[in-house]
Amino acid sequence: MRRPVDTGDPDRLYTVTGGRSRADDDFDLVTLVVSESEPTAGMQSEHARILDLCRHPTAVVEIAAELKLPITVVRILLGDLLAMGRITARHPRAAQSLASLPDSALLKEVLHGLRNL
Amino acid sequence: MSVPAPPSQHRSAKPGRAAPVVPLAVLVVTAAAAGAVAAVAPASARSWALATVLGAWLCVAVTVVVSALLLRRARRQNLRLGAEAQQARAQSAQTAGETAHLVTVTVPAVVKRLRDGTSANDAVTGVTPPSDPQLRQLLHVFAAAMEEQVRHAVTAGAELRQAREESGRAAAELRRLTDETLPTAVTRLREGHSAETVLAELDWPGLPLLRAPAESFVRELARSERRAAAAQAASAKALSRVQAKAVSMLADLREMQERHGEEVFGDLLKLDHSTSQLGLMTDRLALLMGGRSSRAWNKPIVMESILRGAVGRIAAYQRVRLHCSTGAAVTGFAAEGVMHLLAELMDNAANFSPPIDEVNVYVEERSAGIVVTIEDSGLKMAAAAMRRAEEAVSGRMTDLATLQGTRLGLAVVGRLAVKYGISVNFRPSSRGGTGVVVLLPRQLLAQQRDPAPRRSPARHAAPAPEPAPARAELPEARPAPPAPLPEQPAPPRPAATEATPNGLPVRTPGRTMAEAEREREQRRDPRGETERTTRPDTAATRDAGARFGAFHRGRRSGRGTTGPDDRTAPEPPAAP
Repeated sequence: MRRPVDTGDPDRLYTVTGGRSRADDDFDLVTLVVSESEPTAGMQSEHARILDLCRHPTAVVEIAAELKLPITVVRILLGDLLAMGRITARHPRAAQSLASLPDSALLKEVLHGLRNL
Repeated sequence: MSVPAPPSQHRSAKPGRAAPVVPLAVLVVTAAAAGAVAAVAPASARSWALATVLGAWLCVAVTVVVSALLLRRARRQNLRLGAEAQQARAQSAQTAGETAHLVTVTVPAVVKRLRDGTSANDAVTGVTPPSDPQLRQLLHVFAAAMEEQVRHAVTAGAELRQAREESGRAAAELRRLTDETLPTAVTRLREGHSAETVLAELDWPGLPLLRAPAESFVRELARSERRAAAAQAASAKALSRVQAKAVSMLADLREMQERHGEEVFGDLLKLDHSTSQLGLMTDRLALLMGGRSSRAWNKPIVMESILRGAVGRIAAYQRVRLHCSTGAAVTGFAAEGVMHLLAELMDNAANFSPPIDEVNVYVEERSAGIVVTIEDSGLKMAAAAMRRAEEAVSGRMTDLATLQGTRLGLAVVGRLAVKYGISVNFRPSSRGGTGVVVLLPRQLLAQQRDPAPRRSPARHAAPAPEPAPARAELPEARPAPPAPLPEQPAPPRPAATEATPNGLPVRTPGRTMAEAEREREQRRDPRGETERTTRPDTAATRDAGARFGAFHRGRRSGRGTTGPDDRTAPEPPAAP
């Protein structure tokens, strides 16, 4: 009936978001996030990790997967960082152009890689 | 005829002695007178005169003789009466003397002898008895009565002594019972011994008057102890079920929070918060009832998570500001206790400060351990209240009877503090309210391990001269990663198999694609940084595969939240 030990984390999500449950910003799953500054002392650990993670552009979904947090929580956290000016977000649609699409050789490589997964 | 008074005896004695002379003289004188009369009488009348004179003389003689006789008799009687009076006087004097002797000498002597223990007869025969029989009788009666009294007094004295001895013995036994036996018995009963054992092994007073109440006291106390223990065990058991339910509810809620989208996320968080508070309440009761905490952690928990875990269990968590820059972690076995302790103190601080004011929690790392300060800006605690709080958290009051009403939190704090050796001190806060200083000793902190393997590989790729300030500040205080990574990074994998000949990363099961990608990047670290910065296009194209994998996985985990995003999903992410 009772598990001998808990393997999860003690933090509840509302303590991570400070009680907020709704993201105000329009981050979507594939918005790319780049950190603009280094983490500082006393920063919430999730913020620090996001800043670490986004040294190179990272999609919101990937941050969520890395932090093992629900998308909503990650969006709230990213909203905080954006408001502080510590990250910049780039909507994929804005950068959409044929020139930046991967070439067919790479896509083939990806396909090959996917088959090997 | 009256008895003449003694003084007149002498006066009458002289005439008495002269009495025979006087009548004789009277007789002679009268005879001479008669002769003279007869001689002088004419011869004619001589015979008549002679007869008459003779007759007269005879009458006088008779009268004189009779009176003389009467006088003598009276005198003799007078003498007798005088002698009698003399005798009576002497007798009365003797009686008075005897009485005085009896009163002043005999009676005290008899009393003394009787007091000394001789019998009445011996006492009476030992003294000179008064000659008067009535006095003798009186003495005897007195001696008998006195003897009786003395015997009575002696028995009464003996009885009194005996009673005193008995009462002294009883008092001594009573004192021993109250001072030694009963406290020992109470301790033994509290330790869980049965009434029979306690009654058998202790030295109970022999007096039935003391023994009976002591026995019934012990039995009654044993019964109430048993009742209390049973009630406590039953509630601990019942509470453990509630605890288990709350824990499983929390796990379910977390899962739902992952699964469901933003529409219900807020509600789920609200439920989560309520369940967490419920968990704190049940844990509090369970600890008081001798039960266990609902959770136990099998890994060190970093301070930030500890604080969050604590603050998440109180109602006013949004008013609590956490200031934590240390990376130290609390060992798994103590983590739950520390969290509960901090939650109780934060709850207390939040409850006793105005609902608009914040409660600040500071964490500092010191040589003695980690100091957590919880400061509210509410009312200053009165000295007495602070003393009571100090006493409550000292853990000395372990008796449930000392709990007052619903204010159980500090008692729990006291128990936890004693259990883990945590010191909790109250002091007036510089912010106007009350501050609680909690010192977590070193032995509760996780062993400091080499932080290098715990850093995520991306950090190794970062330029070495500028490490993250948060980490640079406390490099030695980082026994655990900044945030809990449920899966700790595995030991370095064989590098050779990590990429295809074409340079694509190979994802081993259980690893995210991004992780594999970063490791690949790390391998080419010497040139990686320059490559990424100087040739962004190449780097971007190479990252695209990794990103696609992560994106795919992210989509799966974020399913349900991203209706419109599904539309954009097939679009390949653009390079920055």
